[in-house]
Amino acid sequence: MNDPINVLTLFLFNIVLINIPLLYGTVGEIVVEKAGSLDLGVEGTMAVGAIFGYLAGCAANSMVVGLLVSFLAAGLCGALFAVLTVSFQANQNVTGLTITTFGLGLYFFVGKGMGERWPAMTVASALVDGFTARELPLLSKIPVLGKVFFSQNLLVYLGVAVAVLVWWYLNFTKTGLRLRAVGENPGAADSVGVNILLYKYVHLIAGSGIMGLGGFYMALNMSGSFEGSNCWINGYGWIAIALVIFANWNPVMAILGTLVFGFFNTLQIYSGALAGAFPGGLGWLNAVPAQLFKALPFIITAIVLIASSVRKKEGSGQPAALGLNYFREER
Amino acid sequence: MKNRQPLFHVVKRESGSPGRQILAYVAAVALALVVGAVLLAVQGVEPLTFYKQMLTMGIPGSRYPWRAVENFIKLFVPLLIVSLALALAFKMRFWNIGGEGQFIMGAFWAGVAAMNLGESLPRPAMVLVMAVAGALGGGVYGLFVAALKVRFGTNETLLTLMLNYIALYFLQFFAETKADWNFFLDPESARPKFAKFPASAQMITIPIGPFNLNLSLVIALALCALIFAYLNYTKRGYEIAVVGDSPNTARYAGMKVGKIVLRTIFISAALIGMAGAFHVSSAGVMSASPTNDVGWTGIVVAWLAKLNTVGILVAAVLITVLQFGCQTASATYPAIDANFANLLQGVILFIVLAADFFTRFKLVRRGGKEAVK
Amino acid sequence: MEERYAIEMRGICKSFGSVAANKDVNLNVKPGEILALLGENGSGKTTLMNMLSGIYKPDSGSIFVDGQEVSINSPEDAKRLGIGMVHQHFKLVDVFSAADNIWLGDDKSGAVLKKDRYDVIRDMAKKFGFDIDPRKKVYNMAVSEKQTLEIVKVLYYGAKIIILDEPTAVLTVQETVKLFDVLRRMKAEGHAIIIITHKLNEVLEISDRVAILRKGEYITTVDTPSTNEQQLTEYMVGRKVELNIQRPVVEKTRPLLEIRDLTIKNDEGALAIDHVSFYIRGGEILGVAGIAGCGQKELCEAIAGLRPIEGGQMIHKGDNIVGLPPKAILEKGISMSFIPEDRLGMGLAPSMSITDNMLLKKYDQSKGPFVDRKTGRAEAKQVIADLEIVTPSTETPVRRLSGGNVQKVLLGREIKAGPNVIVTAYPVRGLDINSSYAIYDILNRQKQDGVGILFVGEDLDVMMGLCDKIMVLCHGKVMGVVHAHKTSKEELGLMMTGALDLSHKYEDKPAGIAKDSRIGENEEVEE
Repeated sequence: MNDPINVLTLFLFNIVLINIPLLYGTVGEIVVEKAGSLDLGVEGTMAVGAIFGYLAGCAANSMVVGLLVSFLAAGLCGALFAVLTVSFQANQNVTGLTITTFGLGLYFFVGKGMGERWPAMTVASALVDGFTARELPLLSKIPVLGKVFFSQNLLVYLGVAVAVLVWWYLNFTKTGLRLRAVGENPGAADSVGVNILLYKYVHLIAGSGIMGLGGFYMALNMSGSFEGSNCWINGYGWIAIALVIFANWNPVMAILGTLVFGFFNTLQIYSGALAGAFPGGLGWLNAVPAQLFKALPFIITAIVLIASSVRKKEGSGQPAALGLNYFREER
Repeated sequence: MKNRQPLFHVVKRESGSPGRQILAYVAAVALALVVGAVLLAVQGVEPLTFYKQMLTMGIPGSRYPWRAVENFIKLFVPLLIVSLALALAFKMRFWNIGGEGQFIMGAFWAGVAAMNLGESLPRPAMVLVMAVAGALGGGVYGLFVAALKVRFGTNETLLTLMLNYIALYFLQFFAETKADWNFFLDPESARPKFAKFPASAQMITIPIGPFNLNLSLVIALALCALIFAYLNYTKRGYEIAVVGDSPNTARYAGMKVGKIVLRTIFISAALIGMAGAFHVSSAGVMSASPTNDVGWTGIVVAWLAKLNTVGILVAAVLITVLQFGCQTASATYPAIDANFANLLQGVILFIVLAADFFTRFKLVRRGGKEAVK
Repeated sequence: MEERYAIEMRGICKSFGSVAANKDVNLNVKPGEILALLGENGSGKTTLMNMLSGIYKPDSGSIFVDGQEVSINSPEDAKRLGIGMVHQHFKLVDVFSAADNIWLGDDKSGAVLKKDRYDVIRDMAKKFGFDIDPRKKVYNMAVSEKQTLEIVKVLYYGAKIIILDEPTAVLTVQETVKLFDVLRRMKAEGHAIIIITHKLNEVLEISDRVAILRKGEYITTVDTPSTNEQQLTEYMVGRKVELNIQRPVVEKTRPLLEIRDLTIKNDEGALAIDHVSFYIRGGEILGVAGIAGCGQKELCEAIAGLRPIEGGQMIHKGDNIVGLPPKAILEKGISMSFIPEDRLGMGLAPSMSITDNMLLKKYDQSKGPFVDRKTGRAEAKQVIADLEIVTPSTETPVRRLSGGNVQKVLLGREIKAGPNVIVTAYPVRGLDINSSYAIYDILNRQKQDGVGILFVGEDLDVMMGLCDKIMVLCHGKVMGVVHAHKTSKEELGLMMTGALDLSHKYEDKPAGIAKDSRIGENEEVEE
């Protein structure tokens, strides 16, 4: 139990397990931001995806239904964002924040409204089964790493696959190229016949849908227990927005970023255990306040933001037209 | 396919009419209430009775009606001040979404003052010191971002967002750390728990019969008038208007745009910090999450009001009624709580944002006939 | 049988708010033909072409491609119809490579980006005689490279109708020769080409026919072989109209503002003003003539302290004003007003009232913390009365006024401030005759009071009637300074298009340097 290697392995294992929703949220937001839209509604979007996905998944006792509904419900939030900011040219900051307010309101409204009818996850065997760790053949036998990376549940693998897929899509397909052009210079994309409206709508919906998958993951990771005071998402949506910046708008970097942010996030839980297991090397962890670990993702991101604005480097992945609405006849 | 034509063609409207806007807003609120009613009915709650209870905020028939009003004011004052302050920043198109963080910093420094000086200063002086400490705490926190924005063009939206959470965990550190040096905590309690402020650090109230008028309401309303005057009559307010309208024109007129941004953001963040100070002073105790989302809601209020001072007063009342009303009504309806207010708030803003489109743009049918006036 | 046109526009009208950019324009191009579109600043050429490329939609009129009536609702439609436009302001994604900028609009190849696209683009460019590095990022490219890329892009999309908006403005002579070779080859292959250019020699060299626009109106189309520079210039600027503008004779003072060897870059980093020298005396109006974007805006901004200069001197009454902040320049009595095409933008805060806009430069002068709106309102009333501004009240936001009235507010304020040098660009843009005369009167009164005026204009008749001298700019260089009463419209037109250079007319006295210059009087003045 107190075998240091076991504690370490468990710690590393949990970094992955607990923080994969961040990856979903981040990758979703990258897709949205690459289309030139700054959606501050990640938290609300994830919450909506989480609750509807979970309820549908329980009702149908099906993982696929859960994933699908969470994608669609969150996608609807994206569609709402698109209608308001793309078609109606509303301010993106205000719209995004309102999505969060609305989404959280809806989350609690639905959850509370269920009252006694709230389904426990144990009822839905398919969800329990779907969230059980799967050991990948051979790879899982690698000491420590096998447990950490290759003995996770299916949604972990799916999350990484989605990140890699989105990375490939953005950088190696023509639609991805066009999407990036829309976010960089919509006027240029428009002039060569890229349908800005279509690209924005599709990617805002798809990106939000991916965030919704992260919400569904959180629901399962919380064993589907609804609390009236605390939302499952618990600020992950905001961290995801930070992580987008940290990952420099690159989905593969987002995997790495998830591990870095997840490291701090999990360290606050495990600092005691780790200090106990390695009193010599890590005993000082006890002295570090847990709040610092919670704040570190935001501190790091703030530093990254400031540093990149000071250096103004060309390699920044931030879309040049991020946050600006496009109106073709503007002159 | 080559003769495919879109039904409408969007063009910018030359001018908007205020009548149309007010109409849009009334419609938005009404429509939101209808959406809410449907949701309530789905939940098995009788919408009309709920709304009645919500809008009267449980005041009639209450045993302590004045207590309800006092609590309403405690909710209303921070929202009003924060919304006013955010409007200052938004007028210059500075996207300060760091109201939460600035509020927390204000509350924190006010708390520091209260816990350390509370015993030695008389109440009026103490409340003043807390207000100043809160204003400085919030103001400096905002100024930091403004300076980076002016100097390096740092994205203020994302940076203020990050600073919100940094402030939150900073405060939580003091809330959850039991230590000898931590003057915030109650030494009697074994668990970390905020100690009550000394009596002199509690917000001054003016007794009017059974009702205790919270001084911060008077100050907030005075601020309302002051900011109205500041924006509309003073040179500084004039500069804000020009910079917000057209930074190029401001430079052309010889204004120092950077300096104006710094000054205005400092004032904006300082007011938010002061609201934080008033909040903890009125509560008489620190809290680990003192904001009640006022930094976010303030954005909604400011936007609903089109950054207009009088409009902010109206919108802040409306939103507080929604929130406080839902809170009190939830005593009767366990399934519904304050979050229902957030939901309604969201729906109202969605409709207003959509309606704004029709006041800024118009749809023209091809051939020049206007389809929607 | 009627001739088949690759593209034909009939009765096209387009206006922005109250400004009519195109009025009843007709235009056609045959396959295998190069049409030059000629016109002065603001004559609506780019607007017209943007309706072919799908950026704007015409308010009325019809467009035919290959004899079929079409509706072009988006650039996508334009591309599908085989129309490609090379915009003057490049439509390129800075962080993409050259190849990716082209690939963006490619419909032929597969969904996956392959490495061989670089070779495809390079080979294709080579075929047309262009040498581009397909992997080079746009932000690393020189202006001419970007231009080349834009042309290659359109060619790659296989457009049958190719529109080029001032393509030669940023190309070197050799590159221009190359471009023309390409255009001729395209023409031989049956493409229809429309080229917007101001350079008359290029028009004559490359085009088959020339269509001329003037002030948004279609004038005529002529066959290039049967025309010459004089005729084209006349079409472009119109016949001389006798305007009854007063030109009072005033005793001139020593130079108030002297500009020597001034060099300024534009936002794209190209030279906007290239070693320009001139001076303004008190009691004279110096006109500045030139075609769109010949550095007029940059010149005005530099004088007002809003744009850094690359080199040269600006001396006001013997004091160096280079590097001074805008406020200090204002305080010296130099007023600058620039009416941009949308008439708002610089100089006015559009959402604010007339009263507030009156106060823009002097709000800080009143005592106490408050803005003195009483004075502002009084001035607003006076300006409204003097210039016959049509407005519901002094409190109406400026953006609600019609264009002409907006200008009167701006100019009225500038004159109220009592400057000693007035720099004014396009002050009568879009104004009716009466308002224009009101403004000429105002300027003349200022001149009689000993103010030095720099008048950047677009109507040559007006400038010949109003100004004492006219300086002609062509692509940032001075083509010469002529006496307004001695010159002719044709001469000015030829200078504007670069066909005539009078800058070295007098061997003994370089143009733009005053005999009684104050520069050099006091050596400390120089930087």
